[in-house]
Amino acid sequence: MIRCRLVCVKTIMELQKSHIRSASGPMALAFIYDAASCRAFAHGRRPKDSLTADEATGHYETKLNLIKDTVILEDQPLHLLPHDQLMELISRHRDQAAFKVLFRHFAPRVKSFLLGFGVTNSKAEELTQVVMVTLWRKAVQFDPQKAKLSTWIFRIARNKFIDDHRKHKYPLVPLEDHLKDMVAPEKTDQALGEKQEGQRIKTALQKLTSDQRKVIELSFFEELSHSKIAATLSLPLGTVKSRMRTAFGLLRKELRE
Amino acid sequence: MKEHMLSDEWIVSYAAGALGEAHSVLVASHIAYHPVLQEKLVAAEDIGGALLENLPETDCSEDMLDAVLKDIAAPFSVPVLSTAPKKNTDLPLPLSDYIYDKSGHRPDSLMDIDWGFMGPGMKKHRLWKGPDGQCLWLLRARGGTVMPKHDHGGDEMTLVLKGAYHVGSQRFSVGELEYAEVTLLDHQPVIDEGEDCICLVVTEAPIKLHSFLGRLIQPLIGL
Repeated sequence: MIRCRLVCVKTIMELQKSHIRSASGPMALAFIYDAASCRAFAHGRRPKDSLTADEATGHYETKLNLIKDTVILEDQPLHLLPHDQLMELISRHRDQAAFKVLFRHFAPRVKSFLLGFGVTNSKAEELTQVVMVTLWRKAVQFDPQKAKLSTWIFRIARNKFIDDHRKHKYPLVPLEDHLKDMVAPEKTDQALGEKQEGQRIKTALQKLTSDQRKVIELSFFEELSHSKIAATLSLPLGTVKSRMRTAFGLLRKELRE
Repeated sequence: MKEHMLSDEWIVSYAAGALGEAHSVLVASHIAYHPVLQEKLVAAEDIGGALLENLPETDCSEDMLDAVLKDIAAPFSVPVLSTAPKKNTDLPLPLSDYIYDKSGHRPDSLMDIDWGFMGPGMKKHRLWKGPDGQCLWLLRARGGTVMPKHDHGGDEMTLVLKGAYHVGSQRFSVGELEYAEVTLLDHQPVIDEGEDCICLVVTEAPIKLHSFLGRLIQPLIGL
């Protein structure tokens, strides 16, 4: 399946804006719509203006969406698109094909995550389904500037598990808007950014001592409290707490660099 | 002066979903006051996301995908982020959500809470009591009240929601948190003169009051 790849390339976006201001009607739309034209423009050639008015009108909405932050650059199979852009296809166009790609990537991991809590296979599958349906329904609320997709899905999985497992909902913290400026640095290529980020945390986790890694894993994978971790590892409570502080400090430092 | 804030291991445990009912409400409410803690929370949740991303895959059947595709084909309304009222309230949202989740009622302000007698100048409202003596409750004390001197049966966490109090030379005001370890003896908070002070408190076990009268009425208060 071949789809257009939507890539955020700032310089081209700027060129594109100035071109649209100077061009009119179908020609401007042709530029936005047609990948070949876009490539031509990127290489300094004038885009072809071969689209009919009707064709162009048919893609007006797409144009508006694309103008905002993306431009069609080249043809790519859907599964190679960055996850954030698959989310955009879901939230804007209710694109089931994009959803299937995310399902195949995340559902098996969410299921592993849930199985780690010791629930049955059928319970893990049931909750994984709930998580994935939530991803579809709340896709419009996902803001890649505010959170990484893996973080967003982790939150949903954590909350669904707790809501299901306990008699109360996990109390959620409202995040202030200006946080996004502190959290997400500018990225020129999000696909690359996302993979690097995952790799970075993986490397950072490997850099921890096994003792430090253990307290983080027992927190996230078994949802153990400080005192339960202390009991599991036969350690004083104070040692568990200071180990968690140190491990978190090291991970945060790695993530910020 | 340095603000009184929870240390990082609590932020990590909250992010991991590892806190029980009482602590999760108090810690979430505390984080809601401080952008610096929210930033830490996002970092901790990023770690959760990365751990999830790096997990080995478990087989998910095509039947499961089909069931999900069937579910998502059904019409749905876009969920609202929160049922919270927009107007100003002195309740932090996590606490407001918790009360709403439990009772179906969302108080407009801390004054709307159903306060019960606790002692001279003091009122309380119990939110939750765990099987092992852990308790989540709200304390309301009149300005100038000297709290009864006590020791602890376990660690005690106090988040100030309104007003302020001090313990010796340390002062705690709105959004700040006092962590009193089980080893802390002769704990005697004094409420600042003026407005009422309202705090959200988690106690691990009943506090040990020094005074005979206090011990006498404690079972009636249920804290």
